[in-house]
Amino acid sequence: MSKPDLTLHQEVHALYIDHYSWLQGWIRRKLGNAFDANDMAQDVFMRLLLRKHPVQAHQPRAFLSTIAHGFVVEHWRRRELELAWQETLASWPAPEVPPPESRLIFLETLIEIDRMLDALKPAVRSAFLMAQLDGLTCPQIAERIGVSLATVERYIAKALRHCYALRFET
Amino acid sequence: MSIPVHSPSTAEIRHQNSNKDASSPALPDETIDNAIIWSIKLDYNEANKEIKRRFEHWLQADPMHAIAWERIHSLRHSFSGTSASSALVMSTIEHADQQRHQSLLKRRKTIQLLSLASLTIGTGWLVRAQLPWQRLTADTSTEIGEQRTLQLADGTELILNTDTAVSTDLSGENRMILLLRGEIMVKTGADAHHAEKRPFFVYTSFGKMQALGTRFTVRLASEGALISVQEHAVALYPAQSQASYLVKENESRWLREGETEPANLLGMDAGSWAHGVISGNNIRLADLLAELARYRMGHISCAPEIADLRVSGLFHIKDTDKTLQFLAHTQPIRLSYRTRLWVYVGPAQQDNGAL
Repeated sequence: MSKPDLTLHQEVHALYIDHYSWLQGWIRRKLGNAFDANDMAQDVFMRLLLRKHPVQAHQPRAFLSTIAHGFVVEHWRRRELELAWQETLASWPAPEVPPPESRLIFLETLIEIDRMLDALKPAVRSAFLMAQLDGLTCPQIAERIGVSLATVERYIAKALRHCYALRFET
Repeated sequence: MSIPVHSPSTAEIRHQNSNKDASSPALPDETIDNAIIWSIKLDYNEANKEIKRRFEHWLQADPMHAIAWERIHSLRHSFSGTSASSALVMSTIEHADQQRHQSLLKRRKTIQLLSLASLTIGTGWLVRAQLPWQRLTADTSTEIGEQRTLQLADGTELILNTDTAVSTDLSGENRMILLLRGEIMVKTGADAHHAEKRPFFVYTSFGKMQALGTRFTVRLASEGALISVQEHAVALYPAQSQASYLVKENESRWLREGETEPANLLGMDAGSWAHGVISGNNIRLADLLAELARYRMGHISCAPEIADLRVSGLFHIKDTDKTLQFLAHTQPIRLSYRTRLWVYVGPAQQDNGAL
């Protein structure tokens, strides 16, 4: 173990001893749910251990709750999507509903799509998903949504640039 | 950018960029944009031989081009883990967006109404409504006057009454519903996707209960949780006690932290709210008005002279103003609106000036 690693581990260990139960309580209050608070508090510390640089937090509780806040937001977003997914499925024509065994994978993909494409305009998102999920070419998409080929290509370019930034530039 | 004499390997390129994060060299925007243009021609259109030839030429021209291409081309298969159609994905995401938007609007509206109401009326009845954080952190919630029916993945039907917040977790060994505020009706489902039907629990701050049948209601009050069973039975487990109690069909019982005890429904039928009404016989008017108040923003106050009048029948909860007017027509009472949100119910002959 290299020196920065050692420092980091010692720091995280100290944070864990001093603030773990406080953090757990903080998360429980945010979630209104004790079941997930424990797991999430663990995740916060796991995230810290994966850091490249020491923590050196002057206000450890503010620091920990900032990280935890991100988790909490992600958690609710996930729950929202799960719910929307269940409700959408309930109203979907039976032949097009994915079989139960592939639904979990679908949900994961859905969360990934939502995270990657949330910032895009609905029209851009829609065109990009037709290309990615339905395997349609740009001329086919243009026909489907009733816009020019140039517009569809602009949409796809926009989506690709956005995904590139998220995946390779952050 | 100069054209290199030979194409260095990816490893060499990484080395050149080692002052940056070794695995992700930053590329010029122009190169990325060009890679995107090529990807659209090749990956998202039918490309002819001439286009492919020109693409090869571009690809060879600069090692940066190869990296850009590798990355952009890898995005072609983003989200490919699923067989679902874009239509299903878009519907789901739009549905989620809509719900987010609606709950944001409602939240704003509630806050506006609350701040308005607290200016005009002050303290007291607002205490009940002033815990919006529970709504914000719950999986699903309803506003005052709203009801909502959810079909859960295990086949359970969950109906939320007015001003209710729940979390659900159906992913574990037990099916769990956490009632945070308000009232729910549960019609437990067959759990058909699991080989063995998993136990079904509802948790409250006063303790938990296990459904041993198909239909029951749970209502959270400040002094306990009120359980009414419509079909089969529910086992109650107070939080601070080892004892348990079985509530059978057509029975109602309070679940408190340390004990359970028989409940008096004050003449009202449990669960009739799911049909949009309060139904019952020989209900004290004060009790009926208190029950109606759950379904409207604001407050209903009841004069002591008329509190003990008795009423029977069906009282609609969707439009409580109409129900109040109906009561005013059929009972010796009179309504006065102190503010838009505050109704005073007094004896018919009384002048509305005195309170």
